[in-house]
Amino acid sequence: MTVTTMTATGRKPLATPSAVLPCALRATLLALLLAAAGAAAAQGNAKQGEYLAEAGGCVGCHTDSKEGAVPFAGGRALKTPFGTFYGPNITPDPQAGIGRWSEADFVRAMRNGVRPDGANLFPAFPYPSFTKISDKDLSDLWAYLRTLPPSGRVSREHDLGLFFRWRPLLTVWKWMFFKPGEFVPDAKATAEVNRGAYLTQALGHCGECHTPRNFLGAPIQSRYLAGGKGPEGKTVPNLTPAHLKKLSDGELQDFLTLGVTADGDVPAEAMGEVIRNTTSKLLPADLKALIAYLRALAPIAGD
Amino acid sequence: MKVKNVLIALTAVAFGAGASLALAQAKPEVLVKQRQAAMTLQGKYFGPLAAMAQGKAPFNAAVVARNAGFLEALSHMPWDGFDASTKDAKSEALPLVFSDTAKFKQASENLQAAVVKLVAASKGGDEAATKAAIGGVGKTCGGCHDDFRHKS
Ligand code: HEC
Ligand code: HEC
Ligand code: HEC
Repeated sequence: MTVTTMTATGRKPLATPSAVLPCALRATLLALLLAAAGAAAAQGNAKQGEYLAEAGGCVGCHTDSKEGAVPFAGGRALKTPFGTFYGPNITPDPQAGIGRWSEADFVRAMRNGVRPDGANLFPAFPYPSFTKISDKDLSDLWAYLRTLPPSGRVSREHDLGLFFRWRPLLTVWKWMFFKPGEFVPDAKATAEVNRGAYLTQALGHCGECHTPRNFLGAPIQSRYLAGGKGPEGKTVPNLTPAHLKKLSDGELQDFLTLGVTADGDVPAEAMGEVIRNTTSKLLPADLKALIAYLRALAPIAGD
Repeated sequence: MKVKNVLIALTAVAFGAGASLALAQAKPEVLVKQRQAAMTLQGKYFGPLAAMAQGKAPFNAAVVARNAGFLEALSHMPWDGFDASTKDAKSEALPLVFSDTAKFKQASENLQAAVVKLVAASKGGDEAATKAAIGGVGKTCGGCHDDFRHKS
């Protein structure tokens, strides 16, 4: 895709060279783009995409927490040490949502953390994990998002500290901490463990909470899934065998489907929501694979 | 003389009252144990309902109605155990319990409201509505644990 078409789909066309193109030309370009997007949408499998969206927990961050809120129409407040982010509307509404995006725009957002207008996306959107999603799965996800009813709900501006609100600064952050690229299976691991690794690292983005972060909000990879302070500053448990061995496979499976422990203890809502939206929706074989992967992690002491 | 006796008697009553108040106020460690016991019992009667809501256990309307009734009483019990005197006692309660008492109280009232809804639903005979109400209770348990408890 060329730079011109990228900017033509951007949310702020006035600030781009495309603004100087004659109107008719722009309209033609747009029509071409929409046709291309439509053709691309037919390629992905929307039904499979719906399952992947559950495995990715998209609905949680992209739906207001108010009762009766429209799914995927945005509004959820995500508190971080850098300020409050609001999950945007990702329904296909052309103004309020991402209706004017092409599939390539979507892939670039998920894989590279870049908006169609070229601006960086904030890693509060877990693209550092989603970058690992396979091309095929991205295509299915996109096909599913296109089937959502468009909502005109306008996305709310993030409420960030002055310094952090500046998107170009993220270029430095990404250069330091972000490695784009599809998931690479571990040749030494079984197919099941690799499937679990993919579900955990790419879609489930479990590390976004279960991996401790440095002061710039970047996960400390040497302590992957070893617990510590979560994005909201609260302590999150260690998922490596050093800590999780206290639970049997059956107990883990029940916890991740029911949202309560065997003795009726209810986890903090941060995890309760992950269970409701994601792990309880996984196919039995996928949940089993996820657990097999957690079991295969190198034990890291501490929480 | 008489007046003095009356005064002494009144003072004694006043001190006596004070003494009995002091006796009624359990030690911080005991208060912690009691509130944890109330939480444990909530878990005991909530857990099976969560399994039914997820279809992991067969739905049993009689058990739901009974447990909902137990939860209605239990959902009033833990809170006076979070007395300021327990601030430094060893427990899983986060300091925020004692610094943002209004928010903590709100979270306890959210639970009570959700349990009232569950009791009503469990009497209504609508399985889907009852399961939804069970989910509603779970969210209020977890919502409070999110802010106010560090599970060790
Ligand atoms: C942890 C919360 C979280 C999860 C989970 C999440 N998102 Fe997002 N997403 C965000 C935030 C916050 C933004 C806004 C980022 C920004 O403004 O830079 C965003 C932005 C986006 C955008 C760009 C929208 C725009 O208008 O710029 C797309 C597309 C998107 N998300 C798709 C998804 C999909 C698909 C999933 C599931 C696979 C998903 N998101 C899961 C938080 C999340
Ligand atoms: C939004 C943040 C968040 C995400 C994302 C998240 N978790 Fe959690 N998780 C938590 C928190 C917080 C707890 C602690 C709950 C408590 O205090 O009761 C937890 C607890 C757990 C536990 C229980 C550990 C124990 O000590 O008993 C398991 C297992 C778990 N998470 C697995 C996962 C898996 C698997 C994923 C990815 C699919 C995941 N989590 C994603 C926040 C998160
Ligand atoms: C208003 C806040 C709040 C609500 C609502 C709440 N809890 Fe708790 N819960 C806590 C706190 C705080 C602790 C830690 C108490 C301590 O260690 O002294 C706790 C601890 C627990 C424990 C561990 C008890 C122990 O032995 O240490 C269980 C089990 C539990 N809660 C279950 C539940 C269930 C089930 C519900 C819903 C039916 C619920 N809680 C609702 C605040 C709450």
